[in-house]
Amino acid sequence: MNKNQRNQKELAPSLSTWFKKIILDWDSFQMAVNFGLLGLIALAPLFIDSSYYLGIIIVTLIYAFVGVSWNIIAGFTGQLLIAHISFIAIGAYTTIVLLNKYLISPWLGIWVGGFFAAVLGIIVALITLRYGLKLDYFALFTIALMVALRTLFKKWDYVGGAVGMWFRLENPSFGKMIFASKVPYLYITLGLVLLGLIFQYYIYKSKIGKYLLAIRDDEDAAAALGVNTSLYKTVSVAIGAFMGGVGGGIYMMYVTFIEPPQVFDLGLNVEIVMTGPIIGGLGTLSGPLLGALLNKPVAEIVRAVLASGRSGISQIVYGSFLIVTILFLPYGVTGVIHNIYEKLTRKYQENR
Amino acid sequence: MPTAPPRRGRYFQAVVLLNKGHKMNLNIVLQILVNGLFTGGIYSLVAVGLTLIYGVMIIINFAHGEFLMIGIYIAYWAYTLLGVDPYLSIPLAFILIFFLGILIQKGLVQHILDAHPMSQIVLLVGLSTLLIGLAQFFFGAEPRAIRVPYETAVISFLGLRFSVARSVAFLSALVISVVLYLFLNYTKTGKAMRAVSQSRVAAQLMGININYIYALTFGIGAAVTGIGGVLLAPNHVMIPTMGVTYSVIAFVVVVLGTMGNFIGAFIGGLIIGVAEAFAGFYLGGDLKIVASMGIFIIILLFKPSGLFGRKQR
Repeated sequence: MNKNQRNQKELAPSLSTWFKKIILDWDSFQMAVNFGLLGLIALAPLFIDSSYYLGIIIVTLIYAFVGVSWNIIAGFTGQLLIAHISFIAIGAYTTIVLLNKYLISPWLGIWVGGFFAAVLGIIVALITLRYGLKLDYFALFTIALMVALRTLFKKWDYVGGAVGMWFRLENPSFGKMIFASKVPYLYITLGLVLLGLIFQYYIYKSKIGKYLLAIRDDEDAAAALGVNTSLYKTVSVAIGAFMGGVGGGIYMMYVTFIEPPQVFDLGLNVEIVMTGPIIGGLGTLSGPLLGALLNKPVAEIVRAVLASGRSGISQIVYGSFLIVTILFLPYGVTGVIHNIYEKLTRKYQENR
Repeated sequence: MPTAPPRRGRYFQAVVLLNKGHKMNLNIVLQILVNGLFTGGIYSLVAVGLTLIYGVMIIINFAHGEFLMIGIYIAYWAYTLLGVDPYLSIPLAFILIFFLGILIQKGLVQHILDAHPMSQIVLLVGLSTLLIGLAQFFFGAEPRAIRVPYETAVISFLGLRFSVARSVAFLSALVISVVLYLFLNYTKTGKAMRAVSQSRVAAQLMGININYIYALTFGIGAAVTGIGGVLLAPNHVMIPTMGVTYSVIAFVVVVLGTMGNFIGAFIGGLIIGVAEAFAGFYLGGDLKIVASMGIFIIILLFKPSGLFGRKQR
């Protein structure tokens, strides 16, 4: 009895200090926000039956995962890899080719897709490093690569040419990642986002992350301090491309078809890759998820409010989001939260 | 079992055409050259606008092709609603897009001139997305086209066939480029623009109002590109997303002809036009973009300063 009481007494303060530790540290606070949001999303199927709304949540989660992948390249390392969609498309194509031609389960296929995307990423990084392409020129190179890949995939009959590829929705089968309802997809993507966010935190906190941030802030200074900038730029592009490829594979399994003209497209690139992390806060830990939660849902709400069959509404939303963020919120939504957070914690520290 | 006939693709046809005789051969090559130059004229105009903006403000206008898209829609509506011939709507398009460009410069671009390239690219990509979205919202996403009486008219000259619409477009592009060149070289304002492109600080010290020059440059760059769109209107299908293709081509041309170099952009446009025409003929229409992307990647890798660039990078 006594022993138990003593244990509880010890446990209680340790819990509260643990809690304080998390809340008072900005990085772990962001992760707490991430986990909280994911927890809420995990409860969503209890309240939402409509497959339309579940679909929006799933797409949001996929955007969040892809956002994390781009955040590592563009946010942490500061590389202007604009046409990240190429890696996503490679992952999607690999997954569907493995499933359709070799009957390899997407559970394995998405990781193979990530691997191929990472290989392409490493090739891109090595070529651009070899020839010293930076900033604007690097951005233009990735766009040229995207257009070249579009033409290649349009002409490549093995992957369906201009028609693209799709898979027939048969009876639900776990191995082929085909389910009767959308709920399993939701938990698969949720798990993936959880993994992605934890991995992002690990990268951010690790030595590699410090190198990446140093390269972003001042590449020459980082090189002067002994950071192997070429190596770590390649590493960051490879990691981001790998995650993008995995996200592409999952996206493929969810939308069930892929066409070269639609997928190798800057418009889709803006929607899937750029809008989320930028409005959420590029280079922050909670940016990709917060941005994704604003990205697709707001576009859908605006479409529903205007209730018109006209196209172009989502483009208007994404475009305005990007412009407003750059002009008024340089660090995105996370930047706003950070300002409030700083004030509150300072007040708390002073009162103590 | 009957055997399938051998596959005869476009390449085969091209070889047959080329083997028919020496005269035929030369004629085809010349015809492709003419077609390429005519397409290249429009590319030149678009690229000249882009290179002007880059030269003066050191930003890559990722929303550049959208001004061409707006131009072609202005021509469309002027023709459909008012019955104005596309070529006569050039002044209207110039004025409208000039002021739109100034508005965009003053409202958006001015604030990011000294920002990190990431912010610049994201803002302009956002602007591009917004303009495409607005065009889709108001004009619809389906393709539109103008039917003018001279749409298919052709002049035969020296055994070559010149489409009337495309000849007019090419000559107009040429005239506008020359006028712009003279403006930049022989007027006080044009000289001020070149001074700003050479050194922002020195130009400011000489009493040049650089914000005025920036607005003017962006307006002119946008308007020239818009005219490119108007010139395309008589024989080109228009969709709201068409500008992206032209943006990418303009990037290719501008890098090829050295960023910020006016004459380089003009010649680069013609080169890319001709290269695409030959690639389109020998490889097929879908693959013509391979030519420009191939040139682009090679130039980026081996001579990123372009054909007319001094060794500086």
